[in-house]
Amino acid sequence: MSRTYRWAMWLVLLAVVVAMLSPIAWLVLTSLKSPAEMASFPPTWWPKEPRLANYGDAISKVNFVGATQNSLTIAFITTTLTTLSSAWVGFGFARLSAPGKKQLFVVLLATMMLPGIVTLVPTYLIFAKLHMVNTYWPWVAWGLGGSAFLIFLFRQFFAGIPRELEEAAIIDGCGYVGIFWRIFLPQSWPVIAASVILSFTGAWGDFVGPAMFLSQDSTTLAVAMASGYVNDKGLPMNNLVAAGAVIYVLPVLVLFLFMQRRFVSGFSTSGIK
Amino acid sequence: MSSALTEVRRPAEAPAPKQVVRGKKPPGLKKARTFYLFVAPWIIGFVTLTVFPLGYAFWLSLTDSDGLSPRTHFVGFDNYMEIFRDPLTLSSLGKTGLFALVTVPLSILAGLLLAVMLNQPIRGRGLLRGLIYLPAVVPPVGAALTFRLIFDRDAGAANGILSGLGGSPITWLVDPNVRYVLYALVLWGCGGAMIISLAGLQDIPRELLEAAQVDGASYWQTFTRITVPLLSPVILFQVITGVIGSLQSFAPLLLSSGSLSGAGAVPQGNYMYMIHVFAQYFSASRFGYASAMLWLLFAVILLVTLVIIKVSARTVFYTVEPEGKK
Repeated sequence: MSRTYRWAMWLVLLAVVVAMLSPIAWLVLTSLKSPAEMASFPPTWWPKEPRLANYGDAISKVNFVGATQNSLTIAFITTTLTTLSSAWVGFGFARLSAPGKKQLFVVLLATMMLPGIVTLVPTYLIFAKLHMVNTYWPWVAWGLGGSAFLIFLFRQFFAGIPRELEEAAIIDGCGYVGIFWRIFLPQSWPVIAASVILSFTGAWGDFVGPAMFLSQDSTTLAVAMASGYVNDKGLPMNNLVAAGAVIYVLPVLVLFLFMQRRFVSGFSTSGIK
Repeated sequence: MSSALTEVRRPAEAPAPKQVVRGKKPPGLKKARTFYLFVAPWIIGFVTLTVFPLGYAFWLSLTDSDGLSPRTHFVGFDNYMEIFRDPLTLSSLGKTGLFALVTVPLSILAGLLLAVMLNQPIRGRGLLRGLIYLPAVVPPVGAALTFRLIFDRDAGAANGILSGLGGSPITWLVDPNVRYVLYALVLWGCGGAMIISLAGLQDIPRELLEAAQVDGASYWQTFTRITVPLLSPVILFQVITGVIGSLQSFAPLLLSSGSLSGAGAVPQGNYMYMIHVFAQYFSASRFGYASAMLWLLFAVILLVTLVIIKVSARTVFYTVEPEGKK
């Protein structure tokens, strides 16, 4: 490829990066504006006097601390249980055989195509009858069931591990639970990293689940954020919305930046295609 | 470079050497029991959290249930009949279909284009990849709120640029303009498609591309004759998951009203199928009708998926026969 061509491509990509980052920049700039600046047209680009107080207001206006705790609890339950359960099931599909395994695997793959929303409301009614609405039990149940996509990811990874490792362990008297726990799981950190990121961001970002299954006082940040920042007239206070959104989005971005390399390698080593 | 398709054929499933130990159960049976021990969490979850709710949803769709009162009446297929009499249901389904029709190809193409560029040996491509992918990890609520702020009529950047160029401000967040905001929002997240295409591109054997170039193929020919066919399963995967995702999308609801409770107040032009479903569930307490609507959506998604698979059967090119066809 010629030198000029490569330069042109680099410039295009640079423009894309600027376009991709500018909404985040706008979000941060907006979060520092005063109510007066929010009302003026045309908008100011740079806040005249950056108002850090917006962040304090954003935290006190809604039950921010409580909602964050709820979000963290749900994200923790989901991430831990989904990752462990998906790895466990993925191991079964990768290393063990039994009649009906192939059919079960096809069913597993098919569930990835099932629109999740179809089961959500009936699930709500079922959990309501079991008095589990407004508790974290639904997330425990969902987590234990694993995620079809992550099971598939773990299965692909475990299937690629040489058989000798497993056989040596069996000769040493190790059962399959031990093989999974002591040999295979510690090796699968690239997939675990991908799984942690995906389940954490999924749970942190989920809106419909908490909105349906939790009451307004015990709900997550996503729900509190989306509906909480309005004044007495019911009009959105956009500078507070922005400040809240910055705090809400930050943990996910930080997690991503820290684990980015592992995340991408988790996908390539497990050969997701 | 390993790929899913080759890994599937690795000796993981090759039969283990038979060791018959006298007086013990045959190893096959023990192994089968262990297999079921391992997959049990998923099977239990599948039955209780998928199959049972699905059945329940179907039963609900045949009743006039409001989700609360213990007495519900069996109404047969009345709810399904009503779907075709309810203009809002049909129009919202059409709008959702249009949304999918525009956004799915848009984001796959953008992602593919970026992936091809970022697969070249250029300076700082790791960083570029990370930064372009970044918006895809922003949670949907955060993304929707951000775009509301950008397209706000008074304080938004979009109208700021417009007025800087001498134009008059546009009310973006109402119909029909809001659709462009939605398209922009989807495009902002095309890093997800990029990462998947990139993984696919890296699985293409380098020798194939080099051989083509030795044979005098132009860059465009190599791309259309080798890269795209070899990438077609990845693209198909994206088309299917993209359609499924966008047909049940909630972004428009958050963009326009900002809260789930405001579902009933969403401007009609922006009224997508899932908003109507939720309005029927929670504002109107018509659980039976809403369940029927979801079954219709399910049927539509299933049909579309099958059509896509059928149509693509001739064009999608697998390097290795898929599992089960050995």
